[in-house]
Amino acid sequence: MHRILLTILIASSAAAQLPGQLRITGLDGLASKAKESVDITLDSSMLQMAGGFLASGGKDGNDIKSLLVGLKTITVKSFQFKETGQYRTEDLEPIRAQLRTPGWNKIVSVQSKEETSEIYTRTEQGKMAGFVIIAAEPRELTVVAIEGTIDLNDLAKLKALGVPSIPIPNQKGTKE
Amino acid sequence: MNLDEELKAALRREDPSPGFAQRVVARTRSKPTPRWAMPRLIWASAIAAMVVAGFAGISEYRQKKAERAGHEAVLALQIAAEKLNMTRDKIGRWEN
Repeated sequence: MHRILLTILIASSAAAQLPGQLRITGLDGLASKAKESVDITLDSSMLQMAGGFLASGGKDGNDIKSLLVGLKTITVKSFQFKETGQYRTEDLEPIRAQLRTPGWNKIVSVQSKEETSEIYTRTEQGKMAGFVIIAAEPRELTVVAIEGTIDLNDLAKLKALGVPSIPIPNQKGTKE
Repeated sequence: MNLDEELKAALRREDPSPGFAQRVVARTRSKPTPRWAMPRLIWASAIAAMVVAGFAGISEYRQKKAERAGHEAVLALQIAAEKLNMTRDKIGRWEN
């Protein structure tokens, strides 16, 4: 009976998820081990509100707003640890398993002895519909998942805009 | 007396007694507000104040929510840009 219920639960949660939409799971326990962590999830309505707020922030605000226009969701989970060995490679497996499904392509994978950087993209009708960055360093783990259309070159230029680092309330520590 | 004379007598113009106008005005001024009028006025004022306060509160809440969403979006994109550039740098170093 329990198995049937569990199967129904898993099936219904899978059905509720849109095709290709990524769920960042398996990292929930890391926040308590981290000295600093960032956990951000913004859906389309929040992104719309954010765009409205940023539009009043001059040219830089408008540049950032233009990046948000084609986005549906942004999810960022980032953890900084005092010591090494606070997370396991297997912690990323639930995310990587989703990224092995049809639609997703690993476009970059840079691996060294201690660090891994991976970039995945998902395309729909020839257009980029989502991308994921996994950056695993000895004392830092970051997963960024963006759904929607975004120009990676524009995103890469963001640092050049001189956007100030803003502390977010209810986030553990402050991201530099 | 015929009907015409009776009507004339009944509808004959008569001046009011002295001080009639003052008595009417004094009576009007001293007339208390009806018992039902005060609670209605208080209720209407209270409801109006609550509606105004409600709208102000909603507006403030939406503003704060938008501000927070804006800050989070900037931070999220900053982190994404940082990790993207870091990966690109690694590729660059590896190619060189």
